[in-house]
Amino acid sequence: VTKDELLAPLARLRGERVVVTTMGLVRPWARHSDHPLDFASADSAMGHAADFALGLALARPERGVVCLNGDGSMLMTLGTLVTAAASGARNLLLFVAENGTYEVTGNQKVPGAGRVDYAALARAAGFPRAFRFRDAAAYAATLPEVLDAQGPVCVAAEVEPGEETPLGRGPGQDARYLRLSLAESVRALRRGLAVGSGLLSTV
Amino acid sequence: VLRRQRVTHVVTLPDNASAALVSCLESPPGPRLVWVTREGEAFALAAGLWAGGALPVVLIQNTGLLESGDALRGTAMRMRVPLVCLVTYRGYATLGEASPAAAPDGALLGRPDVDSVAVLTEPTLRAWGVPYAFLRGDDDVPRLGEAFADAARLEQPVALLLPEATT
Repeated sequence: VTKDELLAPLARLRGERVVVTTMGLVRPWARHSDHPLDFASADSAMGHAADFALGLALARPERGVVCLNGDGSMLMTLGTLVTAAASGARNLLLFVAENGTYEVTGNQKVPGAGRVDYAALARAAGFPRAFRFRDAAAYAATLPEVLDAQGPVCVAAEVEPGEETPLGRGPGQDARYLRLSLAESVRALRRGLAVGSGLLSTV
Repeated sequence: VLRRQRVTHVVTLPDNASAALVSCLESPPGPRLVWVTREGEAFALAAGLWAGGALPVVLIQNTGLLESGDALRGTAMRMRVPLVCLVTYRGYATLGEASPAAAPDGALLGRPDVDSVAVLTEPTLRAWGVPYAFLRGDDDVPRLGEAFADAARLEQPVALLLPEATT
């Protein structure tokens, strides 16, 4: 599955779900989507996109939250699979793009590349639904069912490694959601979610 | 005070010192408890809760605080999340003359009569730019309200250290 084959169908079907991206999927997602509810966990903490997305899902149970995580990032916080399942966040959809490498730091191999089944890990952690895809057509055909499933749901997909470089933020970035600082970006997301608060100030 | 502040979630990996507080929070009405598997996870999850419009508090032990460095830096701090962190202070009673103001070294951290995590707690908070105060007993409870005000004013995490077990 190429990144485009993974992301294009999701961009068509995501509706008003929040989409949290990280690492090697940040810029590719921005080429498919320019939505106020897109958020990049970039210039942030290593491996903490999934737990950040889980927090969003728990705060907004009426709204779907999608996290586009990678295998290297998932390995840094595998416990989040257990936390997410135990929390009962029915609206969380967690993707694990298995490219087998730490792509943005130079495609170094991640431990267990090609041997770890992240869908099986999620299932064992208590996710009620977990899917694994190696074929783009099967993924695209099943995605509506994935999006309708009661979560937390995990989608593990074998994805071809790319050539994404380290992520930055600032006015010169192509992706709109990377032009803001992380603090500004999270406040823009709060505005997108119509969070009413005097704390909205800096964007 | 947590209920009065309209705290919605307490994100926690509890210990003996926070057990009574957690037990109290398990009884509704009140904030929802969210259990995490590692303390760094608590800061990212709390940041996500805040992004979604909730008002979380983090409740962890100081050992877990030390584990949380990159998560605290990269989420709650970098995102400028107004977040109150309740941190139980393991080993505080062992500090004695080993003042946390002193620069820790290998000799101090290796002393069997001093809890090294206590030695490092306050210097770490200072190094990470997290303001902190003490919550030693019932007389200090107003400091909890002050912590919420400070976090909102500064738009960043602030810590309250609990050197005694909650009862």
